[in-house]
Amino acid sequence: MGIPTAPLSTYAFKEAAEIGFGDDTPFIYTKHPVVGSPDDVLMDYIKGEDPNTGKIVINEIIEALTKTPQKKEAASRQQSDTRKGFLDPDTEDNLQQLFYEKGWTDGLPVILPTQERVRRMLAGTSAFPDDVVSEPSPFNPVKVTVLDVARVAVMAGAGPEHFPVILAIAATGERAILGSTTPFACMVVVNGPIRNEIGINSGVGAFSPITMANSVIGRAWTLLGHATGGSRKKVTIWASQGNGISYNNLCIAENEERSVWEPFHVQKGFNAEESIVSIFRGWTFSHSMGAASLRSYSEEVAILLQAFSAFNASATIVMDPSAAKIVKENEGCNTKEDFSKLISEKTEMTADRFWKTDYVDFLTGPMADKGVEPYASWKKLQVDEKIKPFHDPEKINIIVTGGETGPYFKACDFAYVTSSSIDKWKAAADDVCTDGSCGLPDAPVDYD
Amino acid sequence: MTENLISNVMIPEINREGGMPETAYLSTPYTVADRPESLDNKTVYLVDTGFGGSSKFMIQLQNWFTENMPKVKTVRRRKPGGPLMGFAPELWNEIKEKGDAAILGVAG
Repeated sequence: MGIPTAPLSTYAFKEAAEIGFGDDTPFIYTKHPVVGSPDDVLMDYIKGEDPNTGKIVINEIIEALTKTPQKKEAASRQQSDTRKGFLDPDTEDNLQQLFYEKGWTDGLPVILPTQERVRRMLAGTSAFPDDVVSEPSPFNPVKVTVLDVARVAVMAGAGPEHFPVILAIAATGERAILGSTTPFACMVVVNGPIRNEIGINSGVGAFSPITMANSVIGRAWTLLGHATGGSRKKVTIWASQGNGISYNNLCIAENEERSVWEPFHVQKGFNAEESIVSIFRGWTFSHSMGAASLRSYSEEVAILLQAFSAFNASATIVMDPSAAKIVKENEGCNTKEDFSKLISEKTEMTADRFWKTDYVDFLTGPMADKGVEPYASWKKLQVDEKIKPFHDPEKINIIVTGGETGPYFKACDFAYVTSSSIDKWKAAADDVCTDGSCGLPDAPVDYD
Repeated sequence: MTENLISNVMIPEINREGGMPETAYLSTPYTVADRPESLDNKTVYLVDTGFGGSSKFMIQLQNWFTENMPKVKTVRRRKPGGPLMGFAPELWNEIKEKGDAAILGVAG
């Protein structure tokens, strides 16, 4: 900045501060937590000891601004660029334990990615093993190849038929688990013919842990994050309580055959015959409080959404086909867009309640400060004036999934993130590698 | 009975080839600014990063300066643009122009 500066963090984020800024930056640490702590506790933090040095925090701050700090030599940030190949031969138990200890698993046993298994997985695509699936980005700083994804897909228990979907998810470059203290979670929704070709459940128990395709595809995405070396506690995993959704990322298909509305991927401009995977991300996921027996579905949805953060006005509603049918017949919603508009109109809360939500304060507040509407206007309202926090119906996504054994729904504050083509990763019918020409490296050892 | 050994198990870890891109780091190489001998009659900006609790923390820090170092002028500001990413050139320029020092924080 060019002037004396004292950077502060709570001690719980020491590793993050050093990863993000390098360990040559002289951070001062307070006790943790700051968020939610009363004023007298925060003053005690200021007058109290830095948990890292034992020195008084305010003295360190004044010293940092009046005495030139000794700049430490930054540790090398260069990572190894040696692409390793194989593990030494070992027993099943030892290898499972090694995978767990290395942080490559979700804690459940994995299918060990032997060369033969990975080769079979690669038969699920026409892409070459070295083809790049996603390029490095600030939040996902690795280049991911088809071979990388194949190893992970094996570990997750997937078969070659699932591989194109997993590649399509990987191609988004998005991570299933973000390095946030909050319990971010994701949802995976598959549309198009591949749903039925590989048996992705969109009917009874679509979200339940009972269907192979849903389980292994969703799990593979989380394991891909682990394999990038990024999913490590207090390195990039910071969620204070975490989120069990991340085991398989709510992987479902849309029940296009039973839906009274157009499929989600068609809403996004894709052809109905294309196979597309879409991903969503948010924090809060809730099931309906039974059916809408005594109120309308739009009222039931609004009741749940009033408890959500409404960050960026985003929400996703997953309707059982039978519930969607009732909404169409009883509430006049001939399209998903009609239902989104109705939900947007019916969901209200006071300005005070909206702005006192933590996520809204630190994520939406800056938008209001920049003059982004309607947030800038909402900042000027009296505390008891009503707003419609889900003000943009286009950000209220509607998915239809379920087996019609009960007209229920689920509501979440998940935002639509992106969609990705599955078809581009599918194998041509005559393109199956059986002779090693698909490019897998030869095994370095022969073992009896 | 001896357990069978499994060979040719591939390592799943994806290397960060060539290291992380520079954009992955929030910081750029920096130099250390000269320090004043004292903060008396200096203006210190207290910059709240925008994370939950940051604003309340900076209010308490401002209270401490008012009570214990009244010759220090403090200016409390919130970094615009949200706490997670992004820079705030207008605020940084203001601090460089009008301030003598800055305290940045605090998350968690």
